[in-house]
Amino acid sequence: MDFAEFYRGSKDECLLTVLVSVGDHDTAQDLVAEAFARAWASWRTVSRHPAPRAWVVRTALNANISRWRRRRREVSVPDPGTVADLPAVDQADSSVDPRIMAALMRLPARQRQVVALRLFLDLDTDRSAAVLGIAPGTVQAHLGRAIAALRKDLIPERQEESPS
Amino acid sequence: MNDELITAVREQRNKVHMNIPVEQIISRGRAVRTRRRIPGIAGALALAAVAAFAVTALLPASHQSGHGPGAQLAAWTVTKQADGTVYVTIRELRDPAGLQSKLRADGLPASVIFGNSSNAETNPCQSYGDGAELQKVFTFLAPPGPPQGHSSAMAIHPSALPGGAGVQIITSQSQVGAHLVTTSQGCTGS
Repeated sequence: MDFAEFYRGSKDECLLTVLVSVGDHDTAQDLVAEAFARAWASWRTVSRHPAPRAWVVRTALNANISRWRRRRREVSVPDPGTVADLPAVDQADSSVDPRIMAALMRLPARQRQVVALRLFLDLDTDRSAAVLGIAPGTVQAHLGRAIAALRKDLIPERQEESPS
Repeated sequence: MNDELITAVREQRNKVHMNIPVEQIISRGRAVRTRRRIPGIAGALALAAVAAFAVTALLPASHQSGHGPGAQLAAWTVTKQADGTVYVTIRELRDPAGLQSKLRADGLPASVIFGNSSNAETNPCQSYGDGAELQKVFTFLAPPGPPQGHSSAMAIHPSALPGGAGVQIITSQSQVGAHLVTTSQGCTGS
């Protein structure tokens, strides 16, 4: 597989997956760009990976954790509250359905990550579990809870909008 | 019902786009690879060069922060949307000239001054209008204020700019603010 072809075919899904985790479009784009750059630098290995897009997302999320820890040491922010507030900034991406994004951002972080891996990257349960370092059963449980929460959050509005 | 919900969530995949060309990713990848190959002191020296290279190679629309290797977050980022709206995120008060050039390259008559109140006194620009247009041109996505600790983010709507008006992003005592100015060669470049 050619790297350029892989990048063009995967970048948007990887960006959305990381965006759902970190909440800020520019931060997500920086992280995903860095992860793809590292993928290029290790392309011989990454191209043989069973799920190269999962590798990119995992690398981006790890970089975000490193960044958060580094910034926590170097400056007084961000505190967890600040991080939680960041999704509001993401109105920059106006084409995304704001109701769905808002509902996703209200999910606990782990449920968001599971939804992103399963629905945006189309990873199966086992691969999602490997990316997140959790048991497959835990992935299924998180996905079930996430879908239930999203349904509760989104479906009532839709029914109200429909003529009875 | 679940199928409909899952479909709606999945549809978001087509609505987020990453705008960085593959050539810039590969340029950055070369820098990463070079960094891995250079050991010891030579490696440390090379890191500085790689970081400097990345400023122009990876994110021409942003300015790299100085937080070292790893996730190289930009001090500021400018993103222009298809509808013409320009989004500006400022994380650190660095490289105002680069930000100003980027905004002008995106078609905005713009002035950027990062500094303290004494710098602001040398502001070459004259304010435009009475503030009524301000709300139409700028939308603050994060509250104006010091960018340390959280991003200061704003959307600029060029279509709402009155004739003869430009935008200015200016700091006073580290507070990020924005207002309209009268275009001139010395202020907005045209």
